[in-house]
Amino acid sequence: MPWLTVAVVAPLLGAALAPALPDRASRPLALGGALVSLLALLATLVRFDAGSGMQLVEEATWIPSLDVAWRLGVDGMALALALMSAVIFLVAIGYGVGPAPLGRAAAALLLLLEGSTLAFFLAEDFFLFYVAFDVTLVAMYFLIALWGGERRRYAALKFFLYTLVGSMPILLGIIALFLASEPQTFDMIRLAEERPLAGAGAGATLVFLAFFVGFAVKTPIVPFHTWLPAAHVEAPTAGSVLLAGVLLKMGTYGLVRVNLQMLPDAFAEHALPVALLGLVSVLYGALVAMAQTDLKRLVAYTSINHMGYVVIGVAAAAATGISGQARELAIDGAVLQMLAHGFVTAALFLLAGFIQARGSRELGELGGLMKPMPVYGSLTALAFFASLGLPGLAQFPAELQILLGTFDVYPAIAAVAAIGILLTAALFVLALQRAFLGATPERWRALPDLDRHELVALLPLMILVVVLGVYPRLALDVIASGAWLEP
Amino acid sequence: MTVPEMKAMEERMIADLFWLSPIGALVLSAVVAVVLALVLPRGRQGLVGAWVVGAHLSAAALAAACWLDRPFRAVMEGTVMVDGLSLALTGIVGVAGALSVGLVRPMAAGTDREGELYAVLSASSLGAVVLGSAADAALLAMALGLLSLTSFIMTGYLRRSVRGNEAALKYYIYGTVAGAVMVYGLTFWFGFAGTTDLAAIGRAMGDVPVLAAVLATSLVVVGLGYKASLVPFHFWTPDVYDGAPLPVAAYLSVLPKLAGLVALARVLPMALPDGVLGWPTAVAVVAAVTMTLGNVAAIVQRDIVRLLAYSSIAQAGYLLMGVAAIAGSERGVPALVYYAIAYAVTNLAAFGVVLAVQRERGSVDLSAFSGLGRAHPWWTAALVLAFLSLLGLPPLSGFVGKLEVFRAAIDADLAWLAVVAVINTVISLYPYLRVIAPAVLGEPASGSSRRLPAGAPLAAAVLIATVGTVVVGVGAEPLLRLADAADAVSSQ
Repeated sequence: MPWLTVAVVAPLLGAALAPALPDRASRPLALGGALVSLLALLATLVRFDAGSGMQLVEEATWIPSLDVAWRLGVDGMALALALMSAVIFLVAIGYGVGPAPLGRAAAALLLLLEGSTLAFFLAEDFFLFYVAFDVTLVAMYFLIALWGGERRRYAALKFFLYTLVGSMPILLGIIALFLASEPQTFDMIRLAEERPLAGAGAGATLVFLAFFVGFAVKTPIVPFHTWLPAAHVEAPTAGSVLLAGVLLKMGTYGLVRVNLQMLPDAFAEHALPVALLGLVSVLYGALVAMAQTDLKRLVAYTSINHMGYVVIGVAAAAATGISGQARELAIDGAVLQMLAHGFVTAALFLLAGFIQARGSRELGELGGLMKPMPVYGSLTALAFFASLGLPGLAQFPAELQILLGTFDVYPAIAAVAAIGILLTAALFVLALQRAFLGATPERWRALPDLDRHELVALLPLMILVVVLGVYPRLALDVIASGAWLEP
Repeated sequence: MTVPEMKAMEERMIADLFWLSPIGALVLSAVVAVVLALVLPRGRQGLVGAWVVGAHLSAAALAAACWLDRPFRAVMEGTVMVDGLSLALTGIVGVAGALSVGLVRPMAAGTDREGELYAVLSASSLGAVVLGSAADAALLAMALGLLSLTSFIMTGYLRRSVRGNEAALKYYIYGTVAGAVMVYGLTFWFGFAGTTDLAAIGRAMGDVPVLAAVLATSLVVVGLGYKASLVPFHFWTPDVYDGAPLPVAAYLSVLPKLAGLVALARVLPMALPDGVLGWPTAVAVVAAVTMTLGNVAAIVQRDIVRLLAYSSIAQAGYLLMGVAAIAGSERGVPALVYYAIAYAVTNLAAFGVVLAVQRERGSVDLSAFSGLGRAHPWWTAALVLAFLSLLGLPPLSGFVGKLEVFRAAIDADLAWLAVVAVINTVISLYPYLRVIAPAVLGEPASGSSRRLPAGAPLAAAVLIATVGTVVVGVGAEPLLRLADAADAVSSQ
């Protein structure tokens, strides 16, 4: 079986079917589509050999004249991110968006988003890669615009314009790589092997910058981040979960897949400024998050902080003079951080959504929640600790590896970036104290604790956060960047 | 002449008739349309439109039949080329002409000369096809005359519209002067070779003083460049599109333009073989200037028709890249053919939606498009797809078209032109997004109705054009192969 194709097509098929079926069939259909994807990816995982780079490639001709094809394949990074996406999508679809139960439109959009996201991570053809990238924008735009908060149209517009304009340089970069290859191809595997712009001077630098800007908007790296808080605050809970948990990884995935693998020479020349931008993101995200009183905004800014570590790790791996071991450490850490941040942030946005549904997500208005909602309080505390990088939880091994790897070439940056961890620790502990400890205001005394529906959505994520924290090898053995980083 | 010789000639001519059948279908289209328009009552003039649609589609089908019956050849004593370029143009004209009738019908229905308009449109399509097929200077001049005259009439169709009349007059004056300049240039060519046969002119060109050759060729390019609205012969375009009935503007933006470009792609290599006088470089410069001016000027337009006018100028620049590459690369003709197909369906879809909006809201100002998505999601989807295709996003046809002309330019050692085109693509993001963004994301204007009063012909034309915009891109392979085969231009 072409399992990767199944994983991509199942949700897309569901998206096409959903509008034709009655509303009561939407939820089973959406869950079914997402489940099929997850199972197909697990089947891929069983056959996956972490030691042998890009593999299990499925190829079907599409436009041979341009060497465009339906090419899907996995290496450690693609498989890990696709699996993470499938899990988070299952959670988001299970939790639902808009008025319960899940309607036809919502089901179709969520499945469209899942199919295009998986297509993006699994694509080994630039044509498909770009189309998938743009389709995720459209689907996410409608999720925000239709089911978002009060200023949803503004937020959706900002999100859409930023990322669409951001996708334009990516497209130009793709065209440049296509034209430079000989014979011309959209095949990403070949482009990664042949590196048509290796050492091409100014041209390679321009193409590198084009890709970098596009992916930086998506990640987002400061100063391209301004769309993110607005989009998160207005998006429905499931939208935020998917946006932060899955879609942001597209930026850093592209940074590794394209900038690092296809344009290593140009990246090496610009590794230091990129690492510095990552450092700015780490510090800026943490500092601005500290000043937030809106729980969703706070989590949104910590995302900028956490994705900053990924950028630092990738830049360090691209720098000249890094040892092979440190390089693998940095990239393994960066990919693990993408996974960890995906699960942790998805959980955080779910938690923010739960409390919002109970009245408010303003830290200033909350207080003493631990008493009426002990389960919610403890799980939130756990997620906060995971997010601040407590050992034993998912983000600790990831950030540790990134910093260790970075230390080999940029010891100063690694040292300063470590301060970011202190900042996030401070801000999460403060938030915890304000919302959960102290006296419980009258209006919150009778709050119901988490119900089964909410627990079912949250627990898988929390379990994964703990498992990855206690036993990161589980993911690292799959990621194994040493096998694929140099094709 | 002996009897067997006469027999042989007769057989040749009968065989030629098959090769001329697409042109014949368009002649028949115009003639029968005139008669039908006379005999049918006013309420029934739609039937004339149906006839013209059928005749256009037949012309396209016959072109396909000729294509299958290769090799390509010159017919009528070498004056008419039946080759990849001309057959592709005939196919495009057939389909785009039929779609144009769908756009015209809602505007013309019930007016006093509806049937005649379809007849004129047929004659215009005929002029376009002949212009793109002519391998003879005299035929070229005649075709340009026919195409221009019919275009003027269509532009001034709404007699009581002051702007329409002004546009027609402007178009007429501009067109006549440009046509006269071209004929003047053609007389020089005739003087060089002593014949109107372009191939013979090409053979004679080597012995002509460079200055005279450059001067004469420049004059010829004026007439064709005006049809294709290339800079600096583009000044009429926004005013005429703006003043003409919108469906006529849609027609002008596709058929005469593509005919002019195909004529350039045929005439220049024939009359100036092997890229003498450095014409590929000159054409490349014109292409670069045309696309840049079109895109930059489009930025400041608030009137969507003017925006589309400048966009069509820019698109002519991209198309001209294919022409510039012809001398240096065998990819030139395929790129031109493919881009022409993609542009025809895309631009007609864009104009069709704008037309529907104009009919509902009485305005083509940017503000009329705000919130279109809420009120008319399907029309908005068509608008978005068409504009994104003009912008050149995968997997739409405009992207593959751009890619093809980029490849052709690089293959012809015109990499700098590809770079200019890439920069232009970035510039064009703004004007196109400026329409799409408020349409999809904006709040709808108050009092907009639920249904666009478009009428079935318009809706069908937009649907077909939009599906074409997507399918030509996603399923590009058959058309790319077809375009590749079009390169077998017989320059016998």
